[in-house]
Amino acid sequence: MPTLRVNGEQLEAADGARNLLSYLRFDLGLTGTKYACGEGLCGACTVLVDGQALRSCMTSVGAIAGGEVTTIEGLAPGARSPGDLHPVQQAFVEEGAMQCGYCIPGFVMSTVGLLAREPHPTRGQVQEALAEHICRCGTYVRILRAVERAAEGADAVSAP
Amino acid sequence: MSAAGAGLDVYGDVTFGIPDRLRASYRTTTYFNTAPDEPLQRWLTVGADGRVRAFAGKVEYGQGVRSGFAMEVAAELRLPLEAVEVTLGDTELVPWDLGTFGSGSTAYVGLQLRRAAATARQALLDLAADRFDLPTSELHLADGRVVAGGDDARSLGYGELVSDAYRRAEIPEGEVELTAPGEFTVLGAERGRVDAMERVTGAAVYSRDVLLPGLLHAAVIRPPSLGAELTALDAGVAAQLPGVVRVVHEPAGPGRPLLAAVLAESDEQALRAADVVQARWEERPGQPSRWDVPGILLDSARDTMLMQESGDVEAGLEASVRTLEATYYAPYISIAPMEPRAATARWEDGRLTVWAGTQRPFGIRSELASYFELPEAQVRVIAPEIGGGFGGKSIYPLALEAARLARAAERPVRVAFSRTEETQHSTFRPAALVSIRSGVDAEGRLVAWGYEAIHAGERALIGRRGSESPYAAPHQRTVVSSADSPLPVGSYRSLGAAVNHFARESHVDEIAAAAGADPVEWRRRHLEDRRYHGVLDEAVRRFRWSPAAPASGARDGRGRGVAVGIDVGSYVALCVDVEVRGQEVRVERVSAAIDCGLAVNPDGVINQMEGGILQGLGGTLTEAVEFERGVVLNPGFARYRVPRIHNTPRVDVGIVGDPQLRSTGAGELGIVPIAAAVANAVYDATGQRIRELPLQRQLEAVG
Ligand code: FES
Ligand code: FES
Repeated sequence: MPTLRVNGEQLEAADGARNLLSYLRFDLGLTGTKYACGEGLCGACTVLVDGQALRSCMTSVGAIAGGEVTTIEGLAPGARSPGDLHPVQQAFVEEGAMQCGYCIPGFVMSTVGLLAREPHPTRGQVQEALAEHICRCGTYVRILRAVERAAEGADAVSAP
Repeated sequence: MSAAGAGLDVYGDVTFGIPDRLRASYRTTTYFNTAPDEPLQRWLTVGADGRVRAFAGKVEYGQGVRSGFAMEVAAELRLPLEAVEVTLGDTELVPWDLGTFGSGSTAYVGLQLRRAAATARQALLDLAADRFDLPTSELHLADGRVVAGGDDARSLGYGELVSDAYRRAEIPEGEVELTAPGEFTVLGAERGRVDAMERVTGAAVYSRDVLLPGLLHAAVIRPPSLGAELTALDAGVAAQLPGVVRVVHEPAGPGRPLLAAVLAESDEQALRAADVVQARWEERPGQPSRWDVPGILLDSARDTMLMQESGDVEAGLEASVRTLEATYYAPYISIAPMEPRAATARWEDGRLTVWAGTQRPFGIRSELASYFELPEAQVRVIAPEIGGGFGGKSIYPLALEAARLARAAERPVRVAFSRTEETQHSTFRPAALVSIRSGVDAEGRLVAWGYEAIHAGERALIGRRGSESPYAAPHQRTVVSSADSPLPVGSYRSLGAAVNHFARESHVDEIAAAAGADPVEWRRRHLEDRRYHGVLDEAVRRFRWSPAAPASGARDGRGRGVAVGIDVGSYVALCVDVEVRGQEVRVERVSAAIDCGLAVNPDGVINQMEGGILQGLGGTLTEAVEFERGVVLNPGFARYRVPRIHNTPRVDVGIVGDPQLRSTGAGELGIVPIAAAVANAVYDATGQRIRELPLQRQLEAVG
């Protein structure tokens, strides 16, 4: 049985073939990670595995055995006001970068992954990192602003 | 609930503001199959703890209604935003509502909530007047308290005022004294959303996130093509697979659609088992393909409605110095919200609860009650957060499927569409064909305007929306027809307005170009309504449009275009800059202006405008549903290309207009003129006049 850590908690998964997204959502109840396409094309299901953004819909629990998974719920656990949030989450709130919000956890996770590896990305690097994400509500103008805002304060941002 | 305990409840008419045209369709059509049984329902509660709760039948799918409503109530009651809690879309808790579509209806509900809050304000003042023994004129409200005179030491909190008894107030039928725009503290000022925290932490619960104890996951066996009939089903092997609890097969019958599904303990177990179910289907013969659509529209056009007529178009064309005739085409496009639909149902003691992210919770309640022959009070529909709707989630067959399966299994059941199902078993924005004939005099002034549109499908309101021309012409005639539709059609942001505007605003650009006139100047000369001038002037100012650079200019691959529009009572103008390279159109910059009367939540208006523009770029440049013989060939994001982050232009939006005017919608206004503005810019950049969407497919490679 594969073991993994999810948001800091050591877990043993019963079935290594279990789809990681389904495992997170249905077995652990971490529903902040979303399904939108199931084929790696939209980024809604993005989580961090060992600090790197990964499409959870495209992988199995077994494939990341031994890994450290961070979901949107794990970025700032127990946050009760915007001040307690992870700086990337905070930037999304401050820029009003959301409409329905369904895509937002995925964008936030990819941004956290990007800034961990590239604290001051160029616009091109941001677009590249987020190119595989879709926001059907068309919130891109604000998402770009939020990422840039988070990047400005990026020296304070570190991968969790 | 305060209904029993102490506190103040404000009741009011649930049909406030609904036009008679819609009242007439209560319970009559698929969309409006619901009607209020109790005209007076609760809109607002002031609790003994001082908390204010507002209730509305609208749902939140990203348009920011919850925030808008909270701001309106907070402003009327002089409360900080955090002190107001808004409950939406739960048929057991909120006043009846027709559905969340067309920003107009939302504006009326917001107004009724303001009236409810103003009614509560008056009641609180009256209560305080008694307690202080002062006339209400010597009292005022501040930060959740009623304050006596100038003496801040004497004040009573709202909670203290209502904690001694249960009270009920009613919103008066006529005018209610509302806070004047100048006195708004929150309204029209505050930025952002009241539900942002939940959205960035993953705490917001969408339909797909409703997980109940003992939940079974369903995999529904669906037809491979539109209208296919199930002739045989063998689930022998599937039923033996691990985790499978039950296979349900309820054949179609009168008033009962086919339902075949595998129920299992986990989502993957259900899907794996459904994969080995042997189903034989008889496909409906003669299903059309996408290339048949223009012909079908022309051959089956009917129910032609005259929208606008003056003078005599034929005589006008005759008298014109120059005439122009052109046809415009828009294909079906997919609504493709990020959250594919899902529903979870639970039966308890003969009572049914369904969680379904529908834009029409009361309509779905009526559907369920009638199917199960239950009184509506025995059915509760809860619309959680909705991951994008754009009109498409009015229709929600999964609610009934989940309820039927939960009843069969005697356990809660969740049905969730895959992305492919969401596309294939959805409704589409109808394809449309628009023919325009126009004539101008020697000065380039419009003399004749003949507009004939055919929109696929029976839902005539879709095609009619936005078809009337705002341009002065002595002879004009606008007609809109319905027609057969090979694909099921439904609402999509702005209904047919985006398509009608694409045709009209492209055509006037053609007229201006032929007359050698600046397209902005040409529009100014012909627009009569002042509010159009307001938005056009503002967009042009932001864009720095200079008439010196004539349209159809250098054809160096760079161009600019303009378009104006109207929808749901609001006005819009856009100017865009494009760069065309090879077969790609890059929209570099969009300057926009909107007039939506009083902008309750200006940041929300701008957000909606940006979103409409960005979403609209998809239908403008790349989106089209490919289908052959009743099968959608591009149901996923691999072959159905929607805008992505690198397609984002610089967008700046100005809000203009008179805040004394009633609030009108903003959600549709970005999408309405974008296709024409870009098409006009592509013409300016390349000399290619593309009259068919999506533009990129028609574009001949440049440079
Ligand atoms: S759901 Fe995983 S990429 Fe779309
Ligand atoms: S905010 Fe709705 S999909 Fe991005």
